[in-house]
Amino acid sequence: MNSPQMPLRETRAGWAAALRHALARLRRGWRSGELLVLALALAVAAAAVVSVGLFSDRVRQAIERGSGDTLGADAIVEGHEAFPADYRERLQGLGLRTAAVAQFPSVVAVVDGQQTQLATIKAAEPGYPLRGALRLSGEPYGPTRAANGIPPVGEAWVDARLWSGLALQPGAHLQVGGSVLRVTALIADEPGRGGAFAEFAPELLMNRADLAATGLIGPGSRVQHILQLGGEPAALAAARRLQRPVGARLLGARDARPEISSALDRAGRFLDIAVLATILLSAAAVSLTARLHSQRLRDEVALLKCLGAGRGFVVRALTLQLVLLGLGAGAVGVVVGGLGQAVLGWFAAPLLNTALPAPGWLPLPQALALSLLMLLGFALPPVLEAAAAPPVRVFQRALDAGVHSQLGLVLAALAVVALVLLQAGAARLALFVIGGASAAAAVLALMAWLLVLALSPLRRRSGVAWRFGLGNIARRRGAAVAQATALGVALLALLLLTVVRTDLLASWRGRLPPDAPNQFLINIQPEQVQPLREFFAAHGYAHLDLWPMARARLVALNGKPVSADSFDDPETRRWINREFNMSWTTGFGDDNKLLSGNWWSAADAGQPWLSAEEYAVERLKLKLGDTLTLDLAGTRVTLTVHNTRKVRWDSFRPNFFLVTPPGMLDSSGATQWITSFYLAPGQHALLRDLVRQFPNVTAVDLDAALGEVRSIVDRMVHALEFIFAFTLGAGLVVMLAVIEASRAQRARETALLRTLGASSRVILQGLLAEYATLGLLAGSVAAVAAQTLAWLLAARVFDIPYGPRPLLWLAGAVAGCAVVTLVGWLSLRGVLRTPPRQVLAGS
Amino acid sequence: MDADTGLTVRTATDTAAEAVFAEGVVKQINTGGGDLLSILDGLSLRVLAGESVAIVGASGSGKTTLLSLLAGLDLPTAGEIRLDGRSLTELDEDGRARLRAGRVGFVFQSFQLLSGLTALENVMLPAELAGYADAGPRARTVLERVGLGQRLDHYPHQMSGGEQQRVAIARAFAAEPHILFADEPTGNLDLVTGSHIIDLLFELNRSRGTTLILVTHDTALARRCGRVLTLNQGRLHE
Repeated sequence: MNSPQMPLRETRAGWAAALRHALARLRRGWRSGELLVLALALAVAAAAVVSVGLFSDRVRQAIERGSGDTLGADAIVEGHEAFPADYRERLQGLGLRTAAVAQFPSVVAVVDGQQTQLATIKAAEPGYPLRGALRLSGEPYGPTRAANGIPPVGEAWVDARLWSGLALQPGAHLQVGGSVLRVTALIADEPGRGGAFAEFAPELLMNRADLAATGLIGPGSRVQHILQLGGEPAALAAARRLQRPVGARLLGARDARPEISSALDRAGRFLDIAVLATILLSAAAVSLTARLHSQRLRDEVALLKCLGAGRGFVVRALTLQLVLLGLGAGAVGVVVGGLGQAVLGWFAAPLLNTALPAPGWLPLPQALALSLLMLLGFALPPVLEAAAAPPVRVFQRALDAGVHSQLGLVLAALAVVALVLLQAGAARLALFVIGGASAAAAVLALMAWLLVLALSPLRRRSGVAWRFGLGNIARRRGAAVAQATALGVALLALLLLTVVRTDLLASWRGRLPPDAPNQFLINIQPEQVQPLREFFAAHGYAHLDLWPMARARLVALNGKPVSADSFDDPETRRWINREFNMSWTTGFGDDNKLLSGNWWSAADAGQPWLSAEEYAVERLKLKLGDTLTLDLAGTRVTLTVHNTRKVRWDSFRPNFFLVTPPGMLDSSGATQWITSFYLAPGQHALLRDLVRQFPNVTAVDLDAALGEVRSIVDRMVHALEFIFAFTLGAGLVVMLAVIEASRAQRARETALLRTLGASSRVILQGLLAEYATLGLLAGSVAAVAAQTLAWLLAARVFDIPYGPRPLLWLAGAVAGCAVVTLVGWLSLRGVLRTPPRQVLAGS
Repeated sequence: MDADTGLTVRTATDTAAEAVFAEGVVKQINTGGGDLLSILDGLSLRVLAGESVAIVGASGSGKTTLLSLLAGLDLPTAGEIRLDGRSLTELDEDGRARLRAGRVGFVFQSFQLLSGLTALENVMLPAELAGYADAGPRARTVLERVGLGQRLDHYPHQMSGGEQQRVAIARAFAAEPHILFADEPTGNLDLVTGSHIIDLLFELNRSRGTTLILVTHDTALARRCGRVLTLNQGRLHE
């Protein structure tokens, strides 16, 4: 017979023995079903994180790609030199489609006529635009049709402004450099033709094959070369990493269009909240079931120690067992989550009105890391606590270790920090949600504790069922507090999603009313301001907000001369390198939020003050009191930063990075004015009249961009509906786990009570009384916490208004009470039916 | 080799003469409010290898406390305890666990079987912990020996109290311990079942030459041991 080897040494052999034990114990525990609940919680956690993570990532990509229509491409590369052929080949090698456009200013003249006009000439290759479609018409603001490609060789298409400016007729011939091109259509809509903030000149679109013949491209000519890119996100990401020719920059829809970027960011944050809520729920589920598992483990640990196992061995074996279980259950969860997100995508795609791109692999390792973190942070501490159970427990079960190791707190805190870091893109938001949830959990624990104390006198005055139910809460003091806290966190996550899904999204949608400005008028000359006001008054517009604009160049910062070379950041260099638009005003609209300093009033006219938008603050690292010296057409003005503000660019109203009080820049004179207004569908005659009366004024149609932002909101609403349904499922699993945690004990108690003569009805009422009380408490605190969090998120993260909703408080309390009672009843029905003899025999 | 079990038979002459030694053992517990309650008060005990000793006493006299101290599950407030010649008071918890591994077996009043393990797996556990490579066959042999060869894959909740205690006895002998501690082994069983269990316990004990220390308040059971000691007022009396 074999003799025993030296067991459980603190060596590699010790680890091997622990691994053997862990594997055997897992296999056996799995067969007996005792690990099922913990494995289920881990798998649900992984599945929820993976499915919601992948799905939201796909929605994010779809929305971002959809917004490519407003850019005319998925991304563009911009530069002042023609792109070398090998750069383009490398881009194509990544699987990207490309279309090159050269654009430059040039004077265009009507052949056999007198009129000339400075225009932007755009010479495009076949394939242009890569995203969206050009729409043409036969006359300004007339019926439109989709274009079939680009102008054929020898032809040109022009926009309404050039058409009006040159008083063209169909078939007119234009002199462009050394070539003559025939005008065959008017451009009604062109994807990527700037947003609310681009500068516009009349445009002529021609075939790039005609470009050389014009003789307009040569040394010294001011040509902007644009390479449109179209393709999959992975290829676009690779293109971003590719070495670009000197001076070239790569822009996505987000970089090029602040109003879309603003909407995309907000949409992304809504999805982040959904993911965070799911993580919160999953963490609650894992933590709860691990605690239950830990309770069961104590007897086993005491026995193992009694049989000669050292603490080191027990710790190693339990840790390995948990990690192996976590990896196994996590892998199953990842597969289920992958399938889940496919189902979500399949159902959601028609409602989102877009095909969802294939899921990327990036969220997968992130989800696995999350599952592992959750395991180590939330499941390991209670399990390790079990490892401290003393061997003498085999005789005296009450002699519990009573060890609540600080390690648990530290690990859970580390896990939370790591979870936040994993969501680094939204660190602030994650901090709010997790901080809010922790605060809510602390409040819940305190309130549950107070409730437990308050219940003692209460239950003496109640009927037998309530006495039993409330007695249960009071007796299992610690467990009851833990249960109420976990239920509260689960309800908080669900209520938060409800608030986000309904109230916050509605507020966001409300910011873009149906009559939001959809037309910008630019290039209004100072002398046209009054006639324009009269024109609009005559067309039924009572009020028209006109903004003056002056062109300025930054020459000194805090008294020190600066030029583009003074800054390292390429974005800042680009901004400083050219003249930028400034404006002046007595007041700011509600789309401006004060970040620091004070607003000014009409009384402050003439003060040398400056209001800087967040963009300028970040670019120039500005703070209050800094001075900027600006050159306005030869006049130098020094201004002090009086306040900083943040503009909500998706308000679709004119806004400026730098603004002064009136009376400062007026002397140097406004070069032009701009305004925005709402043009109802079918009112295009007004535009025609406008262009006829003010031929130099350009109307920029923002309907497409506005529609894009609205569509982002709508898609968000639908996407959140799906995520919500899925998260609700995860929430129910948490509640089941909470109730499951006390099932065995309840079975014994119930059997005992029935043996003592209690009727099933009394016992059932007692259980329901207990769960109703717990649910009411958890629901009320969760509702208050959800409201507070929603308010914080609305004010600090989303910049949208949100007022308290007293009804939600009531709804939270009632829903918490109802859901917890229902789940409790469903889960414990079986316990009530078990014959007492069977339960007592097994104990 | 024992022909029936295939296990090595050990006799008193094979091992150190002294299996358990206790001298001046005191155990006090804090009852709260700073009051100390003495459970054991300068107790001494010497058990030779292969001996069977019964410790009897009234409920609350400290029998289980004494057993947990002798097995090294707990430490005395004062005094010295030696197990198989090694001083327990000088060892930390892990050291005491290592000393128990493969040397000490237990039979508890409440069986202490792990509910998630089958009968076979429960019996394999101590042999596995002691590092025996043949834990499976070994456990199977002992389970057959206690008459449960047909119930190997049954879980504790599928067995009667008597069967569960037989599994516990099989577990106690699976790792061939030098010393077996039994705490009221028949306390949860009816008279007939209890009597069968005791027959089995003494039979295995005899065939293996194990030292047996048994705590009980059943005088009939105690009389089957070689020596009966009474625990009274924190001390043992012959």
